[in-house]
Amino acid sequence: MSPAATTANAADPTEVERASLRTDVSLAGSILSRAWPLENFIAVNPLGALEDMEFSAAVKKAGEALGARGTLSEEAFRAFHFEGRILDDHLLEALESRHSDLLSGPRIELGETWFNPAELLLCDLLTGRPAPPPVRTNTMPSERIYPQVAEIVDEQTSKWCSAFLDQDSAGWRMPGREQGFYAAWSDLAPRDRSLPPAVREALRRLPGSADQALLEALDRMGIARAQRQSCLQAHVTRMPGWVAHVRWREERSDSIDLLAYLAMRTTYESCLIEAISVKAESIASNKETTSDSRPESSDERAARVANELRTAQTASHAELATASRLFSRLPVEDRAFIWLEAYESGYRNELLSRLGRPARQAEFRPRAQLVFCIDVRSEGLRRHLENAGAYETSGFAGFFAVAIRFQKLAGGRPTALCPVLLEPRNRVSEVAAAGADQAALREIAGHNRIAGAEDGFHEAESHLASPFVLAEATGWAKGPLAAARTLFARPYSKLRGRLKDRAIRPAPTVIDVESGFSLEERLLFAEVTLSMIGLTQGFARLVVLCGHGCTTDNNPYKSALDCGACGGNAGSPNARTAATILNGTELRATLADRGIEIPADTWFVAASHDTTTDRVTLLDRHLVPETHRDDLLGLVQDLDRASAGLSLERCKTMPGAPRIATAERAARHVEGRAGDWAEVFPEWGLAGNAAFIIGPRSMTRGIDLARRTFLHSYDAAIDTGGEGLETILTAPVIVAQWISCQYYFSTVDPVIFGSGTKVVHNVVGGFGVLAGYGGDLKLGLPWQSVADGDRLVHEPMRLLVVVQAPLDRIDSIVGRNPLLQDLFGNGWLALAARASEEEPWMRHTESGWQPWTRTEEQNDQR
Amino acid sequence: MIRDDLTRMTKVEVVVSGSEAHSVREIFRSTGATGFTSLSGVSGFGHGGYHQGRLLFNDQATLELLITVVPEERVDALLAGLKPLLKESSGVMFLSETFVSRPEYFR
Repeated sequence: MSPAATTANAADPTEVERASLRTDVSLAGSILSRAWPLENFIAVNPLGALEDMEFSAAVKKAGEALGARGTLSEEAFRAFHFEGRILDDHLLEALESRHSDLLSGPRIELGETWFNPAELLLCDLLTGRPAPPPVRTNTMPSERIYPQVAEIVDEQTSKWCSAFLDQDSAGWRMPGREQGFYAAWSDLAPRDRSLPPAVREALRRLPGSADQALLEALDRMGIARAQRQSCLQAHVTRMPGWVAHVRWREERSDSIDLLAYLAMRTTYESCLIEAISVKAESIASNKETTSDSRPESSDERAARVANELRTAQTASHAELATASRLFSRLPVEDRAFIWLEAYESGYRNELLSRLGRPARQAEFRPRAQLVFCIDVRSEGLRRHLENAGAYETSGFAGFFAVAIRFQKLAGGRPTALCPVLLEPRNRVSEVAAAGADQAALREIAGHNRIAGAEDGFHEAESHLASPFVLAEATGWAKGPLAAARTLFARPYSKLRGRLKDRAIRPAPTVIDVESGFSLEERLLFAEVTLSMIGLTQGFARLVVLCGHGCTTDNNPYKSALDCGACGGNAGSPNARTAATILNGTELRATLADRGIEIPADTWFVAASHDTTTDRVTLLDRHLVPETHRDDLLGLVQDLDRASAGLSLERCKTMPGAPRIATAERAARHVEGRAGDWAEVFPEWGLAGNAAFIIGPRSMTRGIDLARRTFLHSYDAAIDTGGEGLETILTAPVIVAQWISCQYYFSTVDPVIFGSGTKVVHNVVGGFGVLAGYGGDLKLGLPWQSVADGDRLVHEPMRLLVVVQAPLDRIDSIVGRNPLLQDLFGNGWLALAARASEEEPWMRHTESGWQPWTRTEEQNDQR
Repeated sequence: MIRDDLTRMTKVEVVVSGSEAHSVREIFRSTGATGFTSLSGVSGFGHGGYHQGRLLFNDQATLELLITVVPEERVDALLAGLKPLLKESSGVMFLSETFVSRPEYFR
């Protein structure tokens, strides 16, 4: 040791205790994923923190922690079996997959009849008493001894979180908010006259820091160190919505964190309990709650199955005991996972069998090549466009590999337009096109006038006195306008659009990529993007990069319908940026030196697909060379035909859409839905998503995939090093898995993982919704995003990833990415692959690649 | 000795997944560490096999190396926070003696 080394000082025990507390808080909160605010509604797997566990184990853990259901109920699965959606073969396949040891056991005699184990297990699956729903077992102290206290704690939580987290949408701003949550709350809380005087008095003596307050509150309730994390987790899981959003905020701002949130809750709980004189000892020693309902025992299951098989009268005790032993090896709560796998088999086997017979593709020089987002909604448009003419379409993540922070011409806050897996890497601005400076100034002035008028109106609405004057002054017009908006949604929407166009005349603009990207960055982007799509030669005269967004009115979940790869925003700026880069002459010259030669007569055009109206708008048309005008006109006509065809197809699935419709009527109808402020089903979004296909379009061209598959173009022959496939598997597949899980869990438990019915939603603070006026912040998607009444529109299945690439390449990529090992190894995703179209589909399993069971066996037999 | 004018301190290095890095940074901050260095997208080989380094479109799935230097009196608090966290994750921690030339930066 150096002689000059300083003498070690003693550690401060308080500091040690606080650090330990902070970690307990962090671990208690880690069971929940973060929830983004509504304006950037990012789909997440609500059980993302449990992805290192096997899927069924994670679902069971979530059931105990949150009381949430992780699969459809057995009754729901049995109804699908009754309808023929799930077949006995699917159940047998799932039993074979999960419990092959049981199936290979000896035959069992029941009353002089011999049965295979499969027959008995099948009977149990179809007739056994359903497993009881999950129950949240770890509860707050007050929940067990004084539930009214827990309800008051929840009310206070909702009130203070709503006030503090408000994003300046409320007329009243919480005093002291700039000091942070704990300081602001501890200053105001003692003045709350809804609380008993003793509690207010206790709140006046709160310490200056949140960690000290939390330690004192736990101490007041007699929570020992060993019980601390469990107690904190009970508070976390009591209102998971608020916690999920606080966890998102704490990573972006110092103003609130989970520790301060828990300090508030436990302070209320401990003070209220103290005020009603409940002994702390009785809290700490109180047993955790247990559910009264118990699953059917294996003996009961054996007796029930014997009865169903009409052998109950003659079966001996010994025979029933043998059957009981079989059932004891398949716990009741595991049956739902067999049903889930069977449910998935039906869809997956059918999909793979169709992909196994690719349509022969005619050799043609495409009129244009169009690159769409991988979003499942693009599949329908691509299919209709390919039917409309000689077009070649591809799929790529809708941010088109440009992770940008975008500044609109009109100003405002720049928007991050990239997957949330990434931080924006380049700052890009929209600027006036050459010679359009005056027009741009007029457009900006128009935006400012509209924004000023809207701000003034909202300010008048929220001021103390002016609403009365406002009602007098504008009420005569507001009422009829509201009626017109409701009864004549489409004409009203068109009129409003025209008025807005008059007020804001769009100026021709361009994307300034040279300020945002160095030439080397642009080259990297071009190489990566074109190689990953498989578009490195044979360019058409027009190559369209088509982003997407939605049009919907009065819909807090608009962002959920926009592009997930663009962080819940419309992807037009990304498409414009990418097209601008690829049209650059300097870039093309250098790119040619690197082996990708874009012909001089190829022009990249940006476009936007409106997923609600199915319309495709070509952007920056003023930049298209005169030589390409005719190509463009032909493309516009074919896009219009494709859009109308897609609208007709979609109308068959939309609630309230005309039963018999022409393409024109369907187009008008979807336009009306987009402008209707009372429409709760503007479109189905990504409902139905079930598979992610990575391969050339020849695998899927000519097949109606019913807008259920993410389609990512990939050519294994070009990507010999596997970098492209690794990028697809570690980014677009991950975003798709989040989306898939969001839809899955919002469907299987719409109350805890979904946001329930839209009918009672209240937007709070601009960042979330509540059901009614209080309670927990709602997570996930509304019921109207996944179902129409009692009819499920989304089939809750785990995502199947389908890859056409050498299997050893896939193994190598999975082997070096622990995230993929978790997702594929723990059953969060399924993986099917084949090296080429001539090879059979193989299933990725723990023991290596196996034939895709029955499908491949049947194909072999043909 | 060349180290005579240096001050002895403790260096803590933590390797965790990108999704857990925030919790580690919070512990650094709350226990009085005056700064830290963060290296994202680190690759390597360990008990969990090979870990890929930087991914093109995913900043969160890769491992992150976080380094901080603290005086002796802060080490216990730092460990009290980090040890239970790492027990629940696949991360690792290295603690070593180090010497700094500007101790006032670390107090």
